[in-house]
Amino acid sequence: MVETLVQAVINGLLIGGIYALVSIGVTLIFGVVKIVNFAQGEFVMIGMYISFFLATQFGIDPLVSLVVSMPVLFVVGVLIQHFLIRRVLGPNDMPQIFLTFALSLLLLNLALMLFTANYRTVHTSYSDEALHFGGLYVPVAKLIAFGVAMALSGLLWLFLHTTDLGRAMRAASQNRDVAMLMGINPNRVFAVAFGAALALAGAAGSLLMPFYSAYPFVGQTFVLMAFVAVVLGTLGNVIGALVASLMMGVAESLGIQFVGADSGLIVVFAMLLLTLAFKPTGLGARRGR
Amino acid sequence: MLTSGKMKWLWLALAAVVLIALPQLITSSFAVDILIRILLFSFIGVAWNLMGGYAKQLSLGHSAYFGLGAYTSTIMQVNYGISPWIGMIAGGVVAMLASLPIGWLCFRLRGPYFTIATIATAQVLMLIFLKFRDFAWGAEGTTIPNLGSAPLMMQFEDKASYYYVILGLLVVGLWVTHLIERSWMGYYLVAIGEDEDAAEAIGVNAPKIKRDIYLISAFLTALAGTFYTQYIYFIDPATAFSFSVSIEAALVSIVGGIGTLWGPVIGTVLLETTSALLQSWLGSSVGGIQLTVYSVILIAVILWRPTGLIGVAREAYQRYFRRKPARV
Repeated sequence: MVETLVQAVINGLLIGGIYALVSIGVTLIFGVVKIVNFAQGEFVMIGMYISFFLATQFGIDPLVSLVVSMPVLFVVGVLIQHFLIRRVLGPNDMPQIFLTFALSLLLLNLALMLFTANYRTVHTSYSDEALHFGGLYVPVAKLIAFGVAMALSGLLWLFLHTTDLGRAMRAASQNRDVAMLMGINPNRVFAVAFGAALALAGAAGSLLMPFYSAYPFVGQTFVLMAFVAVVLGTLGNVIGALVASLMMGVAESLGIQFVGADSGLIVVFAMLLLTLAFKPTGLGARRGR
Repeated sequence: MLTSGKMKWLWLALAAVVLIALPQLITSSFAVDILIRILLFSFIGVAWNLMGGYAKQLSLGHSAYFGLGAYTSTIMQVNYGISPWIGMIAGGVVAMLASLPIGWLCFRLRGPYFTIATIATAQVLMLIFLKFRDFAWGAEGTTIPNLGSAPLMMQFEDKASYYYVILGLLVVGLWVTHLIERSWMGYYLVAIGEDEDAAEAIGVNAPKIKRDIYLISAFLTALAGTFYTQYIYFIDPATAFSFSVSIEAALVSIVGGIGTLWGPVIGTVLLETTSALLQSWLGSSVGGIQLTVYSVILIAVILWRPTGLIGVAREAYQRYFRRKPARV
């Protein structure tokens, strides 16, 4: 019993690391650009397809293809910010919500047309490997994914706290108008935030590939998790999103283990609705706000 | 010379004659089917537009009410033999009751997070209907017993009758919108949509107005759910709570003209016609083509004409007739 519980927690934490990459991207964009990117999950999907094609066409290991998927999606992010998002920034919610939502629909359905709904998998030498600790087992592919995810989150944190550009981004997320008055170039900051968020989504995609199937709708699961984690961890708060994602991973895994195989989503939505009912500002909110 | 008021009535009368005659003139059942889809999604769009358009509460969870309406009438019909005409109203009431707690939760959030919360509530309802077999047939759903020609049970042998039913619903929806648009509530809604804080500052009771419009919007959406189930003789959680219903409700309103009386209708005519043409050209072999085209249209509208097709038409009208006396 205890062993099952610990095993479920381990599984949850490992997948929670991937959720964290997606949520941190969503919360970064929300914090800096003040929009919600409904298409974030579709960029995870694109990251997965990039790794899938590099693996099947050139035999490149999905973990190595991280160095392709991240920069490619960074550039895509900068371009999307420059040509699409920049045009709808303003006080009106409607264009922002529905632009990224339309982007999500577009990418998803383009993928459906180009790649069909088939599940694509990549089998690596470590896909079936696992470390054993007594009765517990830790799949190697998931462990690597978790480790890289945490490292990337740490790098982002360092970037936000130690570089000028990172500080500018944090300043812009705290008070955009004052940041602009201090001479911060909004377009540059927004472009980097969007690019970085998409690079994280791309990384999530590549890290998933050794143990997860790529299909057009794959991003939907991750983006739903990310939205809940971002609300739970307080909007715009990177550490909050990270912690909440790990919690969600564990909650989902416990739900699957103890309630039933298809109850993971119910647990997640229940967490969202409970958060909304009792603490709509999220767990990371400062008192008095 | 007719005044613009009289002209309007003339146009409406003409439109009524054309709409009533249309299913009698068209013999192809495929074409009538498309007309029914246009009327159905116009109606759902009109219901969405009351809340999403005027008050800018951008819900992507209206499939919750569509599904509740569909399930209420179907459960009443299949299990208790109660006519769907009564079930339709009952479904509307159930949807209204459900909108109270859902609104209580979701209205705590604003902007995009309101939208996400509405998605989540609709998904939760779908999961509930998927999981509980004893309650309502679970994931397999059920077919609705075909009684042949039974107008009292909302079953007809010809598609034209379904056409008139949904046409009637759309007229009701437009009439309700028209009444609200001209009332104090309409102005409050627009004020909330423009700037909720400012509206509250000048004394608009925003939470109450939002709750009330959500009740009306949920009620109307549920009626569409009952109609659709009766039309296709089948119900399961995936169709009744389909996310694409939520998407299309918002899409047709935005493309046509968000927060306008006729916007959802015009948007649906464009989108559904495009979709029908695509289907006849390409067949249904290429998955995803319909939504790909929809999303491109949506992106184009948002980037270039946020006021939708109505906005385009108004601009063109004013440019074309600008020498004539000002029209309001």
